Amino acid sequence: MSTETNVNNTPDEEPTCSNLSKNNKKGLLNWLKGHKLSTLRRFVLIAVVVFFLLQFLRVKIAVGSLTGSLAIWFVNLLDVFAYLESIFASKDFGLIALLSALPILVVYLIFGRSFCGWVCPMDYIFHVADRIRKCKIFDFKISPNYGYIIPLVFLAVSFAVGIPVFTNYFSHLTNFFRSLTGAYFFFMDLPVAVDVIIFSFAVIGFLIILELIFPRMWCRLICPVGRVYGLFNKVSRLKLMITDNDLCKGCKACDRACYMGVKVSDYVKNGDKIIRDSNCIFCGRCIEACNTKSKIIKMNLSLK
Amino acid sequence: MEFDRRDFLKLSLTAGAASALSGAISVFDNDANAAANKEGFEPLPNINIGGIIRPPGALPEKEFRAKCISCGVCVNVCHTMKYDTLSIAGLSDLKNFGLPYVKDTRDFPCALCMECLKSCPTGALQPVKKEDVKMGMALIDLSICFGWNGDVCLSCSKACPMGATIFDFYNGEWGNQPMINDKCVGCGLCAKFCPLGGSAIKIITRDEYKKVKDNYLADFKKTMNMTNEERYNLVYGVNLPLIMSRGRIIEREYRD
Repeated sequence: MSTETNVNNTPDEEPTCSNLSKNNKKGLLNWLKGHKLSTLRRFVLIAVVVFFLLQFLRVKIAVGSLTGSLAIWFVNLLDVFAYLESIFASKDFGLIALLSALPILVVYLIFGRSFCGWVCPMDYIFHVADRIRKCKIFDFKISPNYGYIIPLVFLAVSFAVGIPVFTNYFSHLTNFFRSLTGAYFFFMDLPVAVDVIIFSFAVIGFLIILELIFPRMWCRLICPVGRVYGLFNKVSRLKLMITDNDLCKGCKACDRACYMGVKVSDYVKNGDKIIRDSNCIFCGRCIEACNTKSKIIKMNLSLK
Repeated sequence: MEFDRRDFLKLSLTAGAASALSGAISVFDNDANAAANKEGFEPLPNINIGGIIRPPGALPEKEFRAKCISCGVCVNVCHTMKYDTLSIAGLSDLKNFGLPYVKDTRDFPCALCMECLKSCPTGALQPVKKEDVKMGMALIDLSICFGWNGDVCLSCSKACPMGATIFDFYNGEWGNQPMINDKCVGCGLCAKFCPLGGSAIKIITRDEYKKVKDNYLADFKKTMNMTNEERYNLVYGVNLPLIMSRGRIIEREYRD
């Protein structure tokens, strides 16, 4: 019962800053019980980042960054959007790059856009930034479909300039790992240019400020990496299922929990059985927030 | 005058703060060595590096920039292999920002472990054999090289991973005179292990080498064909004072 009382937003209560910022403190153990997916999600994220940090201790596992890496032994991985930009810039198909991008393609044909919720370090940084901000409402009116312009623009610019512009300069993933590498090299007195560190930290800082002003605008609308992964959501094997639409009382707790602005309740109301939204990052917060006793939203992974 | 504990504490705190401050300044202001370095302690000051020395197996500059996504695999692999040769380029050249390059082989030469090109996910570094690597070209500054001025040094040829295929020796009464031929891969191990302060070997790009090749070889032939008296005047009059002035740098770190 503890999980039921954790979320006590009644259907008729309008979500405002004051009633959402009230924290229901019922102890860590109860929180963990009600947020198994969130806990697992953070565990995966920390594990990935720790694996990437091991490279500084000269361990040759997960060397590089999340845009491109040497996973283990001879397996190279390459982010799909980085691959697209690279082939647009070089006007060359790139067999080596394709071989590196294929494992990622297969992973996302299975798991959809779960990268954003489970692996991307910016998700956790934004989460911390959200805590600083008092008001926790993620109200955002622009349709995410406009966001598809941005990857197309970046691909066009890359094609024209001959440099993978987004991945090289503005990518949050590149800059996150570049700032880590830069800072580590700086303190170990290894050859590194100081402006690289400053630039990379500045980009991350800018994204945090953006998050404080426009919550999750980066993830929902701008980030081309997420946009491209969102396309995989339409065909992914991992999907959100609704077990019983009639049980929904229309409290919209799922909509409020979703910080990617997916209108889960609309899918439930329309009688859909499967939620295939390009902005769903499979974080599982709607599942945890659901007020029905049997939790009518389920995450389903079937390989058929 | 009484010198009590309080005074001592004050004094030590001031001294500590002063040393911390000077340490902090030296981080940003570079050290004296680097400053001395800039004042002509470089070999062949008349020849430019002529661009950027890329990691081994790199595509031609334009294709390299198009393919490289600045993921940092090569830089970090180089770090895991304990060579730390590769560095990330800064904002001074905007087109080149974030891409890997060899900063100064006098500090961190490339050991040709060939790990970076194996692990490049985009194909900006193509897998090639050790012998086919063309990172750059090493040029010996004949005016300050020990071997060209009456000594038997040969540190460069001993450090060279390619050895006999690359070095030609012109042994004579003016020393064991080493010469590097076109097969040089440009790894820079010779520049690192040159015992002279500031090193007597410079690594330049292949493109720049094509430009300066004729002048450099003419200089080499001129030195070879000198009469004994001319050579004596050159070695004792000009070159040895140069070598003596450079020999003073004992701390062999050139990075800034």
